[in-house]
Amino acid sequence: MVCAVLNILLIDDNTVRAEALIQALEGSEYCVTHQESLGASLLKLVEKSQPDMIVIDIESPDRDILDSLHMLNQINPKPIVMFAETEDASIIKRSIKSGVSAYVTGNADLTRVRSILDAASARFEEFQELKQALRTSQYQLEAHKTIDQAKRLLMKKQNLDEASAYKAMRKMAMDSGQKLEQVSSNLLTLLKNLP
Amino acid sequence: MTELTQFSLGYVKLTDAAPYIIAQEKGMFAKYGLNVTLKPQNSWATLRDKVEAGLLDAAQMLAPMPLASAIGASGGRKDIITPLITSQNGNAITISTALYDELQTHIKNDEGLHLSPNVLPLPAKVLKGVITKRKAQGLPKLRFATVFPFSCHYLQVLDYFAQGNILLDEVELLFIPPTSMVDSLDSADIDGFCVGGPYNASSVRKQTGVTIVTSYDIWEDKAEKVLGLTAKAYNERPEQFNLLCAAIIDACEWLKDVPNRFEAARILAQEQYLDTAIDYIAPSLIGSCLTLEGSTPRHIPHYNRFCSAFASGTSGRFALNRPDQEQGEWILNKLLTAFDSARFSDLSTSNVSTCFREDIFDFALNARIK
Repeated sequence: MVCAVLNILLIDDNTVRAEALIQALEGSEYCVTHQESLGASLLKLVEKSQPDMIVIDIESPDRDILDSLHMLNQINPKPIVMFAETEDASIIKRSIKSGVSAYVTGNADLTRVRSILDAASARFEEFQELKQALRTSQYQLEAHKTIDQAKRLLMKKQNLDEASAYKAMRKMAMDSGQKLEQVSSNLLTLLKNLP
Repeated sequence: MTELTQFSLGYVKLTDAAPYIIAQEKGMFAKYGLNVTLKPQNSWATLRDKVEAGLLDAAQMLAPMPLASAIGASGGRKDIITPLITSQNGNAITISTALYDELQTHIKNDEGLHLSPNVLPLPAKVLKGVITKRKAQGLPKLRFATVFPFSCHYLQVLDYFAQGNILLDEVELLFIPPTSMVDSLDSADIDGFCVGGPYNASSVRKQTGVTIVTSYDIWEDKAEKVLGLTAKAYNERPEQFNLLCAAIIDACEWLKDVPNRFEAARILAQEQYLDTAIDYIAPSLIGSCLTLEGSTPRHIPHYNRFCSAFASGTSGRFALNRPDQEQGEWILNKLLTAFDSARFSDLSTSNVSTCFREDIFDFALNARIK
């Protein structure tokens, strides 16, 4: 059997429901590997099999493992889809935005599970791009802060005006072939340790 | 007949869920005209999501969870509050018997340590010694597990490591649910864990683990579990929530007396609650820390603490349960040290006063039926 493009790891202690999901996805581009809650072995499995998406029963104890990984960015981030028997999932979906890409509610959604997973995948990509953009802008903000601090300290210690201090730092950066931010960070360490 | 006030209350199957279960079983909820449905949850993440979404009216939470929610670190809402601390202490670090043997060999061979065999609580510097030795021998890093990033367990493990100058990159630290801990230790997937009862005692009884230090040894008498709910839910029916808190305070007071603790253990052991052996639940409740199968247990009177035992007067007796600024700031500072990231730097003492609601606690104290 040739496995399709997207590998899904399904974690569900309810085998009947898992079977129904697998059937609903038969003939699609999704290839499902089913596991019951695993504990520590889940980490090994995710590392080894590198699924494209994880679908997990909202009641599985393993949910905390995924939640922690997501928060601490410990593995390559993957879309996570919650699977629930009751309508709990849809209520949670309406009320909060956690790190979850989509919710599938028991039998009601099984007929359109493919489109839910497609949407989850798309939404996840979008979210990753947003996160990356945010990270870049945060980094730029930090760099700006460091440069500003170094400049002020240099002005104070060397009794320079703002323009001259900035010019001196620019020159140091050019001479050493380092980024202005790196020079600023070095300067800060150096100047702080001077009397 | 007046209609009873309905609540659905989430908890995790742990020994320190005792105040919630006792309030149900010993009639405290009924006394205040409350019809409470206790709903066991398998994961902290789902428990949190259900409280935030209103599927649970309130739940037992890890003490750092309300503050973590304030910065949106997990879940979506930012208004989880706590009007009541329901327990202190209760966790412990348990390691595999194999690792314990390695530590004992280290104590025996390294005379510079000046430690006697089987010393407990085990100083972290012994663990550091073994970690250094393993590194030199090219052996893999030791793997430890705790339950959730925003938990006292995780923060306590970090503090224990710090006592021995163990750096975080010298070990592997995983997050797995409490229910998986004992099996994971058994199958050597991990070398040690920090978890609450009954899982330390059950690991010792099964002769797969040795409890080397309790959370009381690491942090003496700090908030462990709290009652968590959203400010939105509280504001919709404040008087009813005050009664809910009053009933749980009564249960905490009932749990203060050691003679009641064995009765509590029997109730907790029942199928609809923890569904496990009383042998695993009772020890910590009566101040006994099982360490190594066959050894005399350690006497830790505060191993599970639900109420301030010896203080007099209403304010002193319930000092433990009061979510005061000091208890909140302790957790805040631990979180700030543990999570060195931009997101957390926004947390401040003003978040503590928003999350830790002494005002509601006072309403609840006043609402108590003597």
